Amino acid sequence: MNVQFKKGVLDLCVLSMLKDSDQYGYELANTLSALIQISDGTVYPILRKLATDGMVTTYLQESQSGPPRKYYKLTGLGRKTLVALLEEWLTFTRSVNQIVGGDGK
Amino acid sequence: MTRDEYIAALKRELRILGDTEVIEICSDFEEHFAVGISQGKTEHEISAELGVPRSVAETYLSDNIEQASGYRATAQNTAAVTQAVVTNPTAGKDLSGPRLFVILFNLLFMVWVALSVYSAVLSLWAVTAGLFAASIGLFIAIAAVPAGAVAGVVLAAIALLFFTVFSGILNFFLTKLCVMATKEYVKWNKKIYNEGF
Repeated sequence: MNVQFKKGVLDLCVLSMLKDSDQYGYELANTLSALIQISDGTVYPILRKLATDGMVTTYLQESQSGPPRKYYKLTGLGRKTLVALLEEWLTFTRSVNQIVGGDGK
Repeated sequence: MTRDEYIAALKRELRILGDTEVIEICSDFEEHFAVGISQGKTEHEISAELGVPRSVAETYLSDNIEQASGYRATAQNTAAVTQAVVTNPTAGKDLSGPRLFVILFNLLFMVWVALSVYSAVLSLWAVTAGLFAASIGLFIAIAAVPAGAVAGVVLAAIALLFFTVFSGILNFFLTKLCVMATKEYVKWNKKIYNEGF
């Protein structure tokens, strides 16, 4: 898939994935790279930026198998941003679909 | 690429960032390797999935630049706002001079000008009223005058009525003009009072 397409929506994807449960980097990277074909390494800069912007906080948690993991948790700001981004995304895709005729009409 | 090779390459690409930042970033990748290995992947597989260290590093570096320019933009906005406040012509300007001028000028001078203008207008209206009264009087007098004078009196009454209407129209526009001029003058006064010259 087009790299430029992905760049814009990765924030939205990561925030959405954290909506219902806290996750650690490897998990997020694995799911994302499986679904939209990005390299795993792309996820960490995004997570770092989201943390700097106050969208997520992190905490370490031990695991039964393997090393302790850094979990990412959505903040109130992150949740608000997610709602706004999602709304923007839905409006945008609806319009684009209308233009390219991808909505089946 | 082994884990150590990957981390070393990443460190090299990130060297322009601060030490703490590089350490934090690398610990994220070390954890990623550790989790991957615990799930049975080889270091080479994990390296391949992560992507080239250089392009990963570039994302961090460009985020860093964006953030720096973001701060700069905010600082510029603040400066612009400050400047707008400072250069706002009315903010902090001493208005006591213009205000004193407006009050004194009106009390000492314009009040009398306005009084004389409006009393002149009023007297002109009085003239119109007088003309109207006179013409009505003449019409009433028609009954009392001898038959030979009726035509003359009627003519005079009609002439007076004509002058009444004519002067009425004239006065109407004159009054309108005066009211308009007064409004403009008040507006100009307010402007000077609030903003100075």
